[in-house]
Amino acid sequence: MPRAKGGYVARRRHNKILKLAKGYWGRKSKLFRPANQQVMKSLMYAYRDRRNKKRDFRRLWITRISAACRLNEISYSRFMYGLKNAGVQINRKVLAELAVSDAKAFSELVEVAKKSIA
Amino acid sequence: MQQRTFMAKEAELEKQWYVVDAAGQRLGRLASQVASILRGKHKPTYTPHIDNGDFVIIVNADKVVLTGNKLKDKIYYRHSQYPGGLKAVPAGDLLAKHPVKLVELAVWGMLPHNALGRRQFRKLKAYAGPEHPHAAQQPIPLAVEGR
Repeated sequence: MPRAKGGYVARRRHNKILKLAKGYWGRKSKLFRPANQQVMKSLMYAYRDRRNKKRDFRRLWITRISAACRLNEISYSRFMYGLKNAGVQINRKVLAELAVSDAKAFSELVEVAKKSIA
Repeated sequence: MQQRTFMAKEAELEKQWYVVDAAGQRLGRLASQVASILRGKHKPTYTPHIDNGDFVIIVNADKVVLTGNKLKDKIYYRHSQYPGGLKAVPAGDLLAKHPVKLVELAVWGMLPHNALGRRQFRKLKAYAGPEHPHAAQQPIPLAVEGR
């Protein structure tokens, strides 16, 4: 059998990793070993954070809704309770968007909530 | 309406100025509300990675109240990094000598300890007396909720 010189497969494998490691700090974007380690870790973070993203955004929406509620003199928990009583099914994402872009509509929702628990 | 969650942009922010009278206010209660305003958590446009907070002027920092035995028992420690360099200052002494420092420390402790938190902290202007030099910013008086 003729002698097969190495390099082709390894080079392709290394380049694949180094491509993923673009923009990393220091050696992590230039040398295969540190880059490989960081890519493995980074993919784990990415997997975890795709799940955490949903929680992070929900928290952010709640913070914003809470701030908007305070402007309308109701607490966040009373507001959500009132909406539930009134049968309003708008989710937190849309409520937060309303709080930013349409304060008037949000105030009307607060009135609905206040009426349902009064 | 858009699908994407709104994110405030640094360039489009409008920062308000508030003035708070600390006279008779309890230190921690005051600081937590001030910290919340500095961070912008009172606005529906709150964005975590951006300094969306307002400026806060605290006047009468020397008339802030500490309840219980805190004037004597609450102690502020710092270390000069030299051997035996631990300094301990009771809150009462700090209030008498550097009331502004006392209020600033309380608020600083309630802000995030990172670059963003340091920027937000710089929007706090505390003064010992009832005077402040920020009349040009037309600060709005802010009522502190007492409980």
